[in-house]
Amino acid sequence: MNVKKQRQSKLTSLKDAAALVQDGDRIAIGGFGVYQHPMAFVYELIRQKKKELTVVGIVNGNDVDILTGAGCLARVETSYVGFEKFGLAPNFRRAVEAGELRIVDYPEILSMDRFRASQENFSFWPAYFLGGNDLLRINPDIKPFNCPLTGKKAWAVPPADPDVVVIHATLGDEYGNVLVPSRRLTPQSLDITLARSCDKVIVTVEKIVSTQKIRRHPHLVEIPSYRTTAVVEAPWGAHPTSMLGVYGGDDEHVQAYLRAAKSPEDFRKYLDEYVYGVDGHMEYLDKIGLETLLRLRKMDIAL
Amino acid sequence: MREPNLYEIITVALAHELNEGELGFTGLTTGDGAARFATSIPLAAAQLARLTHAPSLTIMLAGWVHNPDLRQLVSLPNSEFDEELRDLECEAQSRGFPNHPWAIKRGDIDFGFASGAQVDQYGNINSVCIGDYHNPKVRLIGPVLQPEHFTLFGREYIMMAHHDARRFVEKVDFISGVGYPGGLAGRRELGLESGGPELVFTPKCIFDFDKEIGRMRVKSIHPGVTGDELRESTGFDLGPLTDVPVTRMPDADELELLRNEVDPYGLLLPTA
Repeated sequence: MNVKKQRQSKLTSLKDAAALVQDGDRIAIGGFGVYQHPMAFVYELIRQKKKELTVVGIVNGNDVDILTGAGCLARVETSYVGFEKFGLAPNFRRAVEAGELRIVDYPEILSMDRFRASQENFSFWPAYFLGGNDLLRINPDIKPFNCPLTGKKAWAVPPADPDVVVIHATLGDEYGNVLVPSRRLTPQSLDITLARSCDKVIVTVEKIVSTQKIRRHPHLVEIPSYRTTAVVEAPWGAHPTSMLGVYGGDDEHVQAYLRAAKSPEDFRKYLDEYVYGVDGHMEYLDKIGLETLLRLRKMDIAL
Repeated sequence: MREPNLYEIITVALAHELNEGELGFTGLTTGDGAARFATSIPLAAAQLARLTHAPSLTIMLAGWVHNPDLRQLVSLPNSEFDEELRDLECEAQSRGFPNHPWAIKRGDIDFGFASGAQVDQYGNINSVCIGDYHNPKVRLIGPVLQPEHFTLFGREYIMMAHHDARRFVEKVDFISGVGYPGGLAGRRELGLESGGPELVFTPKCIFDFDKEIGRMRVKSIHPGVTGDELRESTGFDLGPLTDVPVTRMPDADELELLRNEVDPYGLLLPTA
């Protein structure tokens, strides 16, 4: 054998990575509530005018609200859409009340289990606690059955089955090895489950580092390269949501967003200013400004 | 000694319900009123129980911080997953799925706390929508963890920061947490062998349940609240109130512990 091939880099631009998402796809977006959503990627989906997407999620917030307001979504399957301490999600609320967005509600733990079902290649996840809940009345995808071993009343819940998963993580290398700090919390743990639930996994990271550096911390690599389809360097890529140990949430920006989102007209202006009107993520960060970014920055003692 | 205020009365009443060796779950509801009722009061009650009759009770903050040292907090946490909580001293942390959900399904959690936009006379709760599901007048946050709270936890305390006829209704518009439709027998028919709401705490009274017939009833009325006021504030029939006692007042020892040991900086319970 005299053929010597180079290992292929999976380093991708934000534009090319977002182009991997097709209109009508079922997309799972990492993060939780107001924490660590891959917002730079979400903005790029909006710039590329994606249509008829289904977001399949667990606990959603900024991600689903802005995609709803930009007209990218047809359907959302999740347990929560809101802004936690900031209140309800205005675009989401308006669209559901107007009948423009189909919402399929799932209980929170089952929303997590649906991704675990996909990870394990199960055709359904069993639930034993749904009797009497109106979630059954509005969700024909959940089917009753009796446990074949005990006869116990149970319900088969469909797997999350995403076409594409996108998460935002701390560090990765160009081959798609992705490191998650050991002092992680629920949002980061769920991101890892998401990344194991699908064959098309896009990871945006705060920083691309050398493979040598990654190899010195292999115990922290929760997503090995073979699972990753594309890796994108997107510093402050979760802004205005928080990134554990790296930066806090930009509360002032979120409040300005929520004020704008009260009316479709003002929200259009917000999108023009921060999404359509900027040529990519770096220009977005310029617009947010160094002073704000430095104020939000956290310096963890150790990973 | 200052007279006990409403928050202290509810906290002490709740502390008496919590037992030695149990595991309790508090989430983080935000918005001042809801947070006070569904997070601060439960945390203070659990800590008071730990300092008195239940030293090995475990209480979880934000669903994952086990037995935190609340006196280290300089402000009430308003964020479930940030560095402040991550670095708060505590006994154990759940790093998330599938860690604590496994404990939930095994039935490890003895009691939890919920609030919602509507509660009805059967103990059902709603945080999904007001009006018809497919054509809602108001779309709310979604079911979140309520379905699990009302079935997989040993018992649930409903904590309502406001008591009015808009929130206490005959029948909720959407059942996202199941109470006692058809009583305990009704729950069994639905495949629910345990769990369900135990008490409802409001600024006006404490409700319990006749679990056989599956109806909420007034257990005690807070000092200074009249029966007429209670009826006007409730959207379903309360039945006769003549024999209903006044909510038990905390004793001096309980108040002293609460004020000096549990919440010395007045962070959890307002002093006014």
